[in-house]
Amino acid sequence: MPKLTIDGRTLAVAEGTTVLRAALEASISIPHLCWHPAFPPEGSCRLCLVEIEGFPKLELACSTAVREGMKVRTETPAVRESRRRVLEFLLADHPVDCPICDKAGECKLQDYYEDHGLTESVFREEKERRPKNIDLGKNLLLDRERCVLCTRCVRFLREVTRTGELGVFERGVRSEIGILEGRPVATPYGGNLVDLCPVGAITDRSFRFRTRTWFLVSRPTICPLCARGCAIDIDHHPGLPRRADSAGVFRVRPRPDEAVNGFWICDLGRYGYLDLHRRRLTRISWNRGGPAAEMSRAKILSVLGGKIREMAVRGRSSRLGLVLNSGLTVEELRSVRDGLLSRLPEARLWFDDPPPGEDDGFLLRAERTANRRGAAGLGFDLAPFDPAVLGKDLDIILVFGGLSVGKGRDEVLGQALASIGTKVLLSPVETGLEPAFDFLIPTALPSEKSGTFINVDGLARSFEPAIPVAAGVWPEGEFLAALAEEISRGA
Amino acid sequence: MEPATFARALGRAGGWSIEDYLAAGGYRAARKALLEMTPAAVLDEVKKASLRGRGGAGFPAGLKWGFVPPGTDRPKYLCVNADEGEPGTFKDRYILGHDPHLLIEGVLIAAYAVGLHRAYVYIRGEYEMIARRLEAAAAEAYERQFLGPDVLGTGFALDLWVHRGAGSYICGEETALLESLEGKRGHPRLKPPFPAAVGLFGAPTVINNVETLANVPGIVLRGAAWFLGLGLPADGGTRLFGVSGPVLRPGVYELPVGTSLREIIFTHAGGMLPGRKLKAVIPGGLSAPILRAEEIDLAMSCEALVCAGSMLGSGGIIVIDDRTSMLEVLLRAARFYAHESCGQCTPCRLGTNWIRKIVERLAAGGGRPGDIEELARLASGIKGRTLCPMGDAAAMPVLAIVEKFTSELEEASCRS
Repeated sequence: MPKLTIDGRTLAVAEGTTVLRAALEASISIPHLCWHPAFPPEGSCRLCLVEIEGFPKLELACSTAVREGMKVRTETPAVRESRRRVLEFLLADHPVDCPICDKAGECKLQDYYEDHGLTESVFREEKERRPKNIDLGKNLLLDRERCVLCTRCVRFLREVTRTGELGVFERGVRSEIGILEGRPVATPYGGNLVDLCPVGAITDRSFRFRTRTWFLVSRPTICPLCARGCAIDIDHHPGLPRRADSAGVFRVRPRPDEAVNGFWICDLGRYGYLDLHRRRLTRISWNRGGPAAEMSRAKILSVLGGKIREMAVRGRSSRLGLVLNSGLTVEELRSVRDGLLSRLPEARLWFDDPPPGEDDGFLLRAERTANRRGAAGLGFDLAPFDPAVLGKDLDIILVFGGLSVGKGRDEVLGQALASIGTKVLLSPVETGLEPAFDFLIPTALPSEKSGTFINVDGLARSFEPAIPVAAGVWPEGEFLAALAEEISRGA
Repeated sequence: MEPATFARALGRAGGWSIEDYLAAGGYRAARKALLEMTPAAVLDEVKKASLRGRGGAGFPAGLKWGFVPPGTDRPKYLCVNADEGEPGTFKDRYILGHDPHLLIEGVLIAAYAVGLHRAYVYIRGEYEMIARRLEAAAAEAYERQFLGPDVLGTGFALDLWVHRGAGSYICGEETALLESLEGKRGHPRLKPPFPAAVGLFGAPTVINNVETLANVPGIVLRGAAWFLGLGLPADGGTRLFGVSGPVLRPGVYELPVGTSLREIIFTHAGGMLPGRKLKAVIPGGLSAPILRAEEIDLAMSCEALVCAGSMLGSGGIIVIDDRTSMLEVLLRAARFYAHESCGQCTPCRLGTNWIRKIVERLAAGGGRPGDIEELARLASGIKGRTLCPMGDAAAMPVLAIVEKFTSELEEASCRS
C-alpha cells in the first residue's frame, strides 16, 4: 500500500488509487465537476488541479495515480488561484439564475464559488444565449446555459445503460449536449441524469419549481419495489407553518451501495415509489356499507383482538387467515411468526406477492418485493397464492396489501373474500380493494419504518425511518405487537 | 549547399511517380533496412541521429519508437500525422504532393524498426488532390511490393491506409487524431496512458509527423553521423521552413537545423517586399510566440527558440511587416483558436471565446482601460491548465503579442 501525504496528512491507500480518491477517502475535499466515482477520469473540468511535489505544473487529482512518498497540497495559493480561474471561466458563461434554479443549494458550481470566490464578475462581454428548456425525453429538461459540459450525462448513457441517447454536438464554445432528432432519452434509468448533473442543467419535470432544496431533509432508506432493494435517499419537506401544502416527500434518489445498486436506481423506484407517497391511506376505518366510519386504534384492537382471542381460546385458530407479502420486513415477519402464530398455531397463512415483472438485466428484478429472501429465511412458504383457496372455513382474514404498482388481481381477491365474516386490509396506500373489506388499517411505507430487507443476492440491509410516519398510519410492526399483546391478554 | 534530404524531389515536375522515385535512388534505404539491418539496428541509427519530431513538439523520434513495447501479441499501429493544420505551415504538403514515396519509404522503415504491420496516414481534409496522389503512390508501392503481405520478398507485411480528416484543427493533436481515426469525435485523450502504450484501438501506437518520417530513409541510407552533421548535435538534420508573408520569395526552404532566422528571411526568402519593413516574425506556426524584428538573430533549433521564449514548432515562419496591425494579427489568432477549440475542457473552451470577444471589441474600436491586461490574465488562465497542448497553443501567441506590442494594441483599440 503506497503512502502519500495530502496537506501534511499521511495516508496509506490501495495500489492504483488516484490522488482524488485518496483525498476523498480521507474526507479532504478537492473540487471536481466532471469526475464521478462511477466513471474513469475524464479530466475535462480542470477543477481538481493540485500541487504535487516534483511536478512542474499543477496536476489533475482525478487521474494521477498515487505513488509512494507523493506529497500533495490541495490548498496552496496556486491551487486556489487555478480553481478560481476555472470557476471564473465557467461563471462568465453561466446565467447565474440560481434564484430560479432547482439545483441551487446543492449545486457544485455554487458551492465552489462560495468556497473560492464570492467576487464580482469581471466579464464585461455579452454572454452566450442558449436554449433553456429542451425536452430530452421522459421527465428530463435541459438548460444549455447552465451546462458546464462535464459530460457525466453522456458518459452515463454510453457506459452504464449503453443506450447512448445523449451526445456532445458542435465544437468549442458552441459545444452542446443534445439528442439526435426524434431519439429522446428512453432508458428506464433516465432519472439518474438529474442526480448526476453537478449543476442545474438537467432538471426533473416532477421536481421543477416545486420547492427549494434547502427545505428538504434527506434520509437513507431502501427502495421496496423490487428484490434488488436499492439503497436510496428520500427527500422530504418537513412543512412550513405558513403553507399547509408544503410538507411531503419530494424526491427519491439513489444512495451509493457498491454491492447492491452502485450509484443508480431505476425510474420505477424513483417515480413509482415517489408516487406511492402521494396515494396514502390515512384513516383506520370501518366499512359498514355507506360512508366508512373512522375508528381509533384502541377500538379496532379490541374488536379484532377480542375475536382472535376467542378463536385461540376455543382452539379454532384454523379459522383465521393471514395474507402476507414479502414486502414486509424481516422484523415484521418474525413478529407474525413468533407473536401471532405461536398463539394461533393453526392459522392459515399465504403469501400474496405481485406477479413477476420484467427483469431488465441491470438493477430491476422480476421479483417485485424487497424481502423474499428474508421471508424464506424465516421459514415461510412463499408458494404463489391463489385467492380461490379462500373459502367458507375462514372467519377472519387479515390481508397485508403489497406495494406493487398497478397490480391487476384485486378484483379476483375481492370476490374470493366475499364469504368471509371479518375482512381486514392493512395497506399503506390505496389499492382499489378497499370496498371489499370491513376494516381498513393504514400502514407504513418502508420509508417510514425501520427494519431489514434481504435482497435477491442475499445481502441484508437494515434501515431506519427516513420520514415521519404519516398521520393516521399504524406501522405493521407496532400493530402486530399490539395485536399479539391484545390476544394474550387474560390468556 | 549540398542538397540534402528532400531537395531532389522538390520542383521536379511529375516527380511523384514511383518510376521517378526509383530512378532517383528511392527505396534503396528500405532495401538496406529490410535486407541488411535488424530492426534494432535501424532503431539505433535513428536514435543516434537525434531526429526530432517535425510536427511541433520536437520529441526525439527514436525515443518515441522505443516506447512501444516489443514482442506484444497485440496489434501495433503507426499513424502518420499529415493533418498539417497549424496556420502558417505548409511543408508536409510538399512532401506528400511531390515526394509521396519518400513518406511511404519512411513509413516502411519505421514499421520495420518498431515491428508493426499497419499504418494510417491521417491527412488534412483540405488536401484532396494530395490525398489522391498519396493514394496513387500507395497503390504503386503495393504493386512493387514495397507494401503488402510480403514486402521485398522478406515476408515482412505492411498495410497502409490513407484516411482523410474533416477539417478540424484539433485532429492534428495526436490523441484527437486517434479518436478521429477510430470514428469518434476528435477530442484529445487524457494522458497517461500515452499512445505508445494505449493508442489506436487501444493498441500500442507510434504517431509521427510526415516530415519526421521523410527524414528516415536518408538516415538509414547515409547514416546518423551524416544526418547529425547537417544539423546540431541534439537536433539533427535539415528542416523544411515554410516562409509566408510580405517577403520576395515566400515558399518552403530545406535548411539545416540551426540556420539563423534572419538568414532564412533575408537571404533565402529574399527579404522584405520593396517598401516594407519587418515588424515581427512568428517563427513556428501561429502558436509559436511572436518575435520582434530585432529578435530574429537566432538559430532555428528547438533549444534556441525555447531560450528566446518561443518555439520552433512546425517551422512555419510567418513574416509580419510594418503595414500589418498587430491588433489584426491578434484578432485572427483569437478567432482561429476560439473557432478550433474542441470544447472539451473548461479553460480552452471558455477562455478562448472570452479572449475572442474582447479582441473583437478592441478591433471595433471599443477598447477600455485594462483590456490588454485582462487579455494577458485570461491567456495565463488557459496556459498550462488544459487537457491537451491546444490550450498553450492558444494562450502563448496572445501572451506574446500582448506583452510585446502593448502600446500599439492600446492605440489601435481606442481609435473610435
